[in-house]
Amino acid sequence: MFKKILIANRGEIALRILRTCKELGIPTVAVYSEVDRDSLHVVFADEAVCIGPAPSNQSYLKIPSILSAAQITGADAIHPGYGFLAENAEFSEICAESNIKFIGPSPDSIRKMGDKAFAKETMKKVGVPVVPGSAGVVNDVDEAKKIAAEIGYPVMLKASAGGGGKGMRIVWEESEIEKAFQTAGNEAGAAFSNAALYLEKYVENPRHIEIQVLCDQHGNFFHYGERDCSIQRRHQKLIEESPSPFITNAVRAKMGEAALIGVRSVNYEGAGTIEFLVDKHQNFYFIEMNTRIQVEHPVTEMVRNLDLIKNQILVAAGLEIEDKPLEPRGHAIEFRINAEDPDHNFRPSPGRIEYLHFPGGFGVRIDSHIYNDYVIPPNYDSLIAKIIIWGTDRAHAIRRAKRALEEFKIEGVKTTIPFHIKVLNNEKFINGDFDTSFIDKHINIK
Amino acid sequence: MDINLLKKLIKMVEQSEITEFTVQEGELKVKISKNSKQAPQVHFQPAADYGRQSPGLQQFATSGESKSSVTTENTKSNLHEIKSPIVGTFYRSPAPDADSYIQVGDMVSAGTVLCIVEAMKLMNEIESDINGKVVKILVENATPVEYNQPLFLIETV
Repeated sequence: MFKKILIANRGEIALRILRTCKELGIPTVAVYSEVDRDSLHVVFADEAVCIGPAPSNQSYLKIPSILSAAQITGADAIHPGYGFLAENAEFSEICAESNIKFIGPSPDSIRKMGDKAFAKETMKKVGVPVVPGSAGVVNDVDEAKKIAAEIGYPVMLKASAGGGGKGMRIVWEESEIEKAFQTAGNEAGAAFSNAALYLEKYVENPRHIEIQVLCDQHGNFFHYGERDCSIQRRHQKLIEESPSPFITNAVRAKMGEAALIGVRSVNYEGAGTIEFLVDKHQNFYFIEMNTRIQVEHPVTEMVRNLDLIKNQILVAAGLEIEDKPLEPRGHAIEFRINAEDPDHNFRPSPGRIEYLHFPGGFGVRIDSHIYNDYVIPPNYDSLIAKIIIWGTDRAHAIRRAKRALEEFKIEGVKTTIPFHIKVLNNEKFINGDFDTSFIDKHINIK
Repeated sequence: MDINLLKKLIKMVEQSEITEFTVQEGELKVKISKNSKQAPQVHFQPAADYGRQSPGLQQFATSGESKSSVTTENTKSNLHEIKSPIVGTFYRSPAPDADSYIQVGDMVSAGTVLCIVEAMKLMNEIESDINGKVVKILVENATPVEYNQPLFLIETV
């Protein structure tokens, strides 16, 4: 087992990792930027090293500073958390070269699965369903028509070199495709100097459902069921739950199987998440894989009764996964509490927390680094707390969530607590009748 | 504490036979004292609270460095701190058997190499950014240093 773990992250996830390290009896090193000096995980860690000024690229993203901190403290493993360097293959490689264990998959796995096109091809080859589409660039409108007819409308034309919604057109029927091809191509050419387009089936109002996996070096590839993360605003997850109120048990089993086929084919090691889009007919399509622990991992922990971070550390140390998958118990929902003002377009609201009261009671879990008088720095993301509710079933979890959120007081900064209470009172949400368009359609905010 | 109240209190001590006066409001404690030859002196003592000082914070259990002693010395305006721009290990000399770059009492100018901070097997020479006299070396040889950790005190003329 490792003799010392350096936590290369901050905020709530750094505290989360530290807690498991303490329970395992492993000494910890916290690294922090100058504005995070009074952060809880820094206070609780056995050793702490200031690695730079506030900007992430001069601190949490600065590989030499982090490696140097590991060297001077004698840390033999680094947990990267999520974000920052968690999916940086170069960092994973440099750790290996410096004889420090990166708690995560190999640089090769990170590279392969991080390349979206490659990941999709890999999954397709082993029979995992992917969003159907052209195998690469579509050369002319006739080719586009042919492929669209094969996969079925509606389809989406997307700029091969692009992103951010530019050079994208939804085509609902064949009569529209010629014009769409032209305008999408022109837009792509103007935005990216490359008019090349590819074609994909347009999955209407999908649900975002992901599968949690854990794999070790002893031939164990396990999945721990799904998380439904369809409640999103501008592609940012706000609420996640398990089990999904939408998919049937048959589909659930198939998705789990598909996820395992995928990770076996790349000989994956560690924790990971396979993300799928699910359409209204319960067809599921692979979109991408996240080769790290995720923000919403506690949802799975509550329903499947395991510590995912602990198992990550065990696997990295060459040991077997300790927690084999159990049947899910009850229902868990996570609400991300951000320091944002939901009444003003969710603009960030950093500052000092003047009054704080966490809710409590049966089935209420809080993962948070904030405390009374804590100053939320403006330099990083706005996530200040995760509240994860467990109930005997979904209806109970919702009742308990309402009760808990009404007890939750944070003053001095604006938070998204009122927003979550609104969602909990929404009939569609209560009925489990939602997809990724839910917030836009049913919650009265921009 | 209201500044007008404070002014009133100082005036009150000045004009009376009181030689020392202490008042506490919430977490702020103010002591006003006077000796016959000088104007009243005012000392502020904010109480430590959890958010500002981290009680359990330890730097490098092995070296046992304490940072607070350095910051109080900065109150003299002609003392300039040289801080480490990187995380690494501090060395006084370019090689184990070589002489130290500088000693206490040496005069240095901007650009003079003061020490090495070694990170990832790379030796980084740390230069002075001002002219002056080295009055204190704040870190022991071969100990780890963090970003912006004060290394030297240079007295400017």
